[in-house]
Amino acid sequence: MTKFVKNLTQRNETYIFIVIVVLSLMIQFRSGQFFTSNNIVDQLSALIVPGLFALGAFMVIVSGGVDVSCPALASLSMYATTRILVDINYQGGIFLPIIMSLFFGAILGAINGVLIASFNLPPLIVTLGTSSVFKGIMQGVLGSVQIPVIPRGMSSFGAASLFIAKNPQTGLTSRMPVAFMALVIVLIIVYFFLQRTMYGRGLYAVGGNEISAHRAGFNVWMIKFLLYVGVGMISSLAGLIRVCMMTQAHPTNMLGMEMMVIAGVVLGGTAITGGAGSLTGCMLGTILIVAVQNSLILLGIPTFWQGLFLGLLILVGMGVSALQVTRATKVKGPMIKGAQS
Amino acid sequence: MKRIFAIVLVLLLVFSTAACAKTAGPAKGKESDWEIVVVPKDATNPWFVRMDVGVKEYAKESGLNVYQKGTPEIDATLQSQLIQDLIAAKVDAICVVPVDPGSLEPVLKQARDKGIIVIAHEGAPLTNVDYDIEAFSNDQYGAFIMDNLAESMGEEGLYTTMVAHVTNASHNEWADGGVKRQQEKYPNMTLLEAEPRVESEDNGDIAYQTAKELFKKYPDLKGIMGTSSYDAPGVARAIQELGLEGKVFTSGTGMPADNAELLKAGAVKALTLWDPALAGKAMAALAVKMLRGEEIKDPVDLGVEGYTNLKFKEGSSTVLEGEGWIVINAENVDSFGF
Amino acid sequence: MEQNILKVTDIKKSFAGVQALKGVSLEINAGEIHCLAGENGSGKSTLIKVISGVYTPDAGQIVFGEKTYNKITPIESIRNGVQVIYQDFSIFPNLTVMENLAFNQELANKRKLVNRRRMRQIAEEAIGRIHFDVDLDAKVGSLSVASKQLVAICRALMFDAKLIIMDEPTTALTRKEVNALFKIILELKDQGIATLFVSHKLNEVFEISERFTILRNGERVITGATSELNNKKFAYYMTGREFEDGSFEPKDISKEPILEAQGLGLDGYFDDVSFRLHRGEILGITGLLGSGRTELALSLFGMRQVDSGTITIEGKQVRLKSPEIAMNHGIGYVPEDRLTEGLFLPRSIGKNIIVSELDSLSSRLGVINRTDKKKEIHRWVKELSIATPNPDNACSTLSGGNQQRVVLAKWLARDLKILILNGPTMGVDIGSKHDIHQLLKRLAEQGLGIIIISDDIPEILANCSKILIMRNGKINAMLSPEEADEQIIFQRMA
Repeated sequence: MTKFVKNLTQRNETYIFIVIVVLSLMIQFRSGQFFTSNNIVDQLSALIVPGLFALGAFMVIVSGGVDVSCPALASLSMYATTRILVDINYQGGIFLPIIMSLFFGAILGAINGVLIASFNLPPLIVTLGTSSVFKGIMQGVLGSVQIPVIPRGMSSFGAASLFIAKNPQTGLTSRMPVAFMALVIVLIIVYFFLQRTMYGRGLYAVGGNEISAHRAGFNVWMIKFLLYVGVGMISSLAGLIRVCMMTQAHPTNMLGMEMMVIAGVVLGGTAITGGAGSLTGCMLGTILIVAVQNSLILLGIPTFWQGLFLGLLILVGMGVSALQVTRATKVKGPMIKGAQS
Repeated sequence: MKRIFAIVLVLLLVFSTAACAKTAGPAKGKESDWEIVVVPKDATNPWFVRMDVGVKEYAKESGLNVYQKGTPEIDATLQSQLIQDLIAAKVDAICVVPVDPGSLEPVLKQARDKGIIVIAHEGAPLTNVDYDIEAFSNDQYGAFIMDNLAESMGEEGLYTTMVAHVTNASHNEWADGGVKRQQEKYPNMTLLEAEPRVESEDNGDIAYQTAKELFKKYPDLKGIMGTSSYDAPGVARAIQELGLEGKVFTSGTGMPADNAELLKAGAVKALTLWDPALAGKAMAALAVKMLRGEEIKDPVDLGVEGYTNLKFKEGSSTVLEGEGWIVINAENVDSFGF
Repeated sequence: MEQNILKVTDIKKSFAGVQALKGVSLEINAGEIHCLAGENGSGKSTLIKVISGVYTPDAGQIVFGEKTYNKITPIESIRNGVQVIYQDFSIFPNLTVMENLAFNQELANKRKLVNRRRMRQIAEEAIGRIHFDVDLDAKVGSLSVASKQLVAICRALMFDAKLIIMDEPTTALTRKEVNALFKIILELKDQGIATLFVSHKLNEVFEISERFTILRNGERVITGATSELNNKKFAYYMTGREFEDGSFEPKDISKEPILEAQGLGLDGYFDDVSFRLHRGEILGITGLLGSGRTELALSLFGMRQVDSGTITIEGKQVRLKSPEIAMNHGIGYVPEDRLTEGLFLPRSIGKNIIVSELDSLSSRLGVINRTDKKKEIHRWVKELSIATPNPDNACSTLSGGNQQRVVLAKWLARDLKILILNGPTMGVDIGSKHDIHQLLKRLAEQGLGIIIISDDIPEILANCSKILIMRNGKINAMLSPEEADEQIIFQRMA
């Protein structure tokens, strides 16, 4: 029985993987351009920002919460960082901007953390609120407008590449941004925390049963607080990378990403009720969403139908995993199911 | 008793006709009491920040209560809520740059029913407006962008058009105008049949990703005619990255300050635009003209550069078109100051 | 004598002026199985929380061997070998058995990093102590209730426990699982670990415990050896009242059945179920969890539609497609989980009573007649002796037994022919249970046909005039109370 359950969870991730493969083959078939070195690099580079957001969203969902303030938080922190550095005519490298945005991210995340951990408010409501507050600060206090030229250190980090992939047939080149390493590093850190530290297991424990976690001796307050601080930092990093890669700071163009990010995480098999989900699934789900978003033209889907296609994909994806869950409970047999009623 | 009732009835009638009269004629009250609000698509886009400059300038010159108020994000729903708030606040005139004209109609109708003057900009298809001011005929502007693109492309090759949203009124009219011009004047150019119009969602990153996809899927594609101010810079980034500089081209609307580097680097040869500050001024000026009860007759002179000879669009009694376009390129980009 | 490992003396504790414990003393010997019994609100849980350090007592002492405390912290309590297994087991359903078992110790040792090998060792050791055979990598959520409980017990044992306190451990267990649990408690006894068993179920007290303590209204009524206890004494100690516990002899059974089921079947749940219910009769349906008894009840109330067979009410064949139709045929249903299914807890007692007869209390325009409404509410509060100072109070302020009466009142307020009760006295204390039984008998005498579904066999024996035993979705036996006793019924059930 337990082996069966285990297989089932594995199947869930395998399933998304299969969907990704099928989709890739479809794109390849329609355009002949999916499995080309430069397209793969393009997809990976498009994954950086959503991927970072997804890691944050994943941890929050595992803890039993949901955070919709990430893009607003990231926007405010990256905007503040860029604004300050532009105003002081900063000439240095990427190090200081990263430190600054991590700092801002930690502070803003701490606001979420304190509200959620100390006052036991529902995370969705809190983050909806702080999301508005963050946007408001950007708008009202910083009077945000687009910053067209960013410090050279930031733009050269955004333009720096690990390698450049060239497609021999078309001659198109795509560069793998150095920023991709940020995603890899954060992924490794998050993996380490979730799997190898008691703190990470505590996150799962809190997501499973908060009262039990408290009784078992976990410091629930600290776990939640640090979670939102950490997520704030990851989101901020994502925001900064977006600015560096676009070589301009636009205060609003990340807003609204939270829904796609959360959809990706849930598509990856993370339970929206908390406590269950794997990093592999989270990344696969996000890859699926990003790949679809950036392949609709390659697929040859007309502009007018793209929204519909994306929405359907999410619904079908969710539907299939929901179906699997129902089937899993049904396998136990009606006699036992009767016992539950 | 009956008498009092009759008097009340008469009074009511008088007031209601007076109220009706207000919707038809110019607003009452002193000029200094007027409140004229300019509602842009959003408040952070530099385009509308520039518009605000013009609006403020106009307020200072005229001494009237004219100001701009925008939503934090480009969002049709937020915009219509904002307008509803303004109706509730009983402003005298609303000048609006609609995000999605179709969805704004009902609320603009409410405004007009309440006797508020409604002036639009980039909203030619709107029916519930007093007037819509276009900096130029959309047709002609589109043609102008096309001329720019054709010049870079050497008047030959495959091209497509990019708009913020396929629901966006003026972007699509520009794109249509551009396509028309190409058909008339550039027989060696062809429109990409499979994807004749793509969306950038007014977001530089999406313009960039979309352009990359287009160039991958259609290796013969030689040009993208952009419309929104995010299009050309985003496409240019894709061109640079894919190593296609000098092989494929883009054109479109763009702000001088934002694009100075791109223009100087040669990724984009020339961009076109009109000055949003002047457009904002023109809207406010037209609103004031109406509040003063002046007759609006072809050609209209608003006393604003490029808007001194406004003419009604063919077959329309609401759309006024000016001659307000300008070209920016590497040479003149630094001379605008915005 | 045996050495006692825990001794509490003269514990007093009050909350906001209400005295929950009025000087209670308790002694637990090493390796003893002690049952702490008492009705709801008697102070059982308060006492446990004082012992485990959750509450600080106002007066009294807690003595562990040599050490005497006036107040104790949870940590000190654990260090002295006390482990509490709460009703919800405090487990993490989303994590593996291994993690559930190892977390407490790892945290207590202030470990920062996860060492799976060490955790596995801890877990293996833990399950080894009670020979609990379970896949350590299985998610706890996928285990049965009984296994979850065993996980909780294993976890408790890891801290050199000397005393394990189990709060209502048998509530959600089947009979078989209860037996398994008892076996483990006996094994623990062999290892010298004492168990304090909190329960209000009579047969369990008899079966497992060596000594018992009964609390009533915050006072200790008696502590003694279980061998000296019998049904009658137990009920008296618990409630302070004497009960006549006879069997039910129906007086006036109608000739024609009021309800007749013929070959009822619901795919996967039950099959070929036939029986007759007459006016004045109380029919008992029993069986193990999963035997189909609950589904049968739901089908009779129209919440599930039978796939085969016929239902006849007063000679007329009916199709019960929805609860509404069933209600129109004069059928009432009191669900198992009255808290979530049967009552609007935050609403007033009065509103809950009349909710099902609002139609008949309203005038033609739909306006509710206030005086009639008041009269009606007071009639039922009085008739069913619902203990409340004011029927306008929220239903949630009532005790379990009184809530059950409100549910009954709700149904009786309608014109009923048949009343179906699923586990009518589950979680209800002895006093109320007795009152509810009396009430049901009286209702049957007034001509109602009653069906009781219950796994409380003494309850079935004492109240029903006919007993239907279900097994694997079939009727395994139909007995009269005279020809049945607990033993026979158990045999037919399993």
